[in-house]
Amino acid sequence: MNALLVGLTITAENPIFRTQEVYRKSVAIIDVRRGLRHPRDTMTIDCSEIGGKVVLHVVGRMDAENAVQFERQCDSCISEGTTSLIVDLGDLSYVSSMGLRSFVGIAQKLKNKGGELRICCLTGLVRQVFEITRLNHVFPMYESVESASLGG
Amino acid sequence: MPGISQSLTLIAIPESLAPVTDFVRIGAREANLPELHMSQLDLVIEEILVNVWRYSYPEGAPGTVVITYSVPRPQEMEVEVADQGIEFDPLTADPPDLTPDLSRRPAGGLGIFLLKSFASSLNYRRQQGWNRLSFGISANS
Repeated sequence: MNALLVGLTITAENPIFRTQEVYRKSVAIIDVRRGLRHPRDTMTIDCSEIGGKVVLHVVGRMDAENAVQFERQCDSCISEGTTSLIVDLGDLSYVSSMGLRSFVGIAQKLKNKGGELRICCLTGLVRQVFEITRLNHVFPMYESVESASLGG
Repeated sequence: MPGISQSLTLIAIPESLAPVTDFVRIGAREANLPELHMSQLDLVIEEILVNVWRYSYPEGAPGTVVITYSVPRPQEMEVEVADQGIEFDPLTADPPDLTPDLSRRPAGGLGIFLLKSFASSLNYRRQQGWNRLSFGISANS
């Protein structure tokens, strides 16, 4: 699938090309590649340890495209023998249902190994999404990485 | 610019998510939506698009999706997502059971629930072979 964009009617600056070109009621066939994804839309995961527990600090946006990246990182920790993970979401600005699917899936894998997924530092939309779906009652939730690292 | 709508037509595949998000954000900036509502707009658009590319068209043969938005008044946006796939009214989907504990909780099934939760209005109509799902995002409600 090379030609992604079929038709375009934009009268302002065109964000898809990320230039100032103006396309007025034009029909364009262009190629939009993953590489054009704006840094704002990406997600990074930093891995560290506190009190012998693995902490994943997830930064950015977890959407349908990059939720799998989080799952892979968790799977890699699990395959290295980790049974409990602390996930710091203090710098995650966005999560969709595909992200929630990953959280539930990983938490179930950890539970089957006798461990758990601890989540901390929810904020903004991410907090709203967890509360609306009542997932804040499904996972152990903490206000800080330090409190999540205590016990267990 | 109330009443004027902008429209974008793309192929319904995961890679379309980023350009669609960029596109509706033009309207969000025009409407001067607060940051939280902009994120809610992103979320509702994503949940609808995921449904279109997963369920509307046969696997391996994606069709097009047309996104149209307008800014009826400051702090408000109206968006329509239209596709020519199989008829599907997400408004009729059963609400998920949010009570089970982790071991019995299904991983998926929250997309439609989330879009219903964050849209200030939501309407579906099937018209001449098109699924037309429109929603509002409002910082005034």
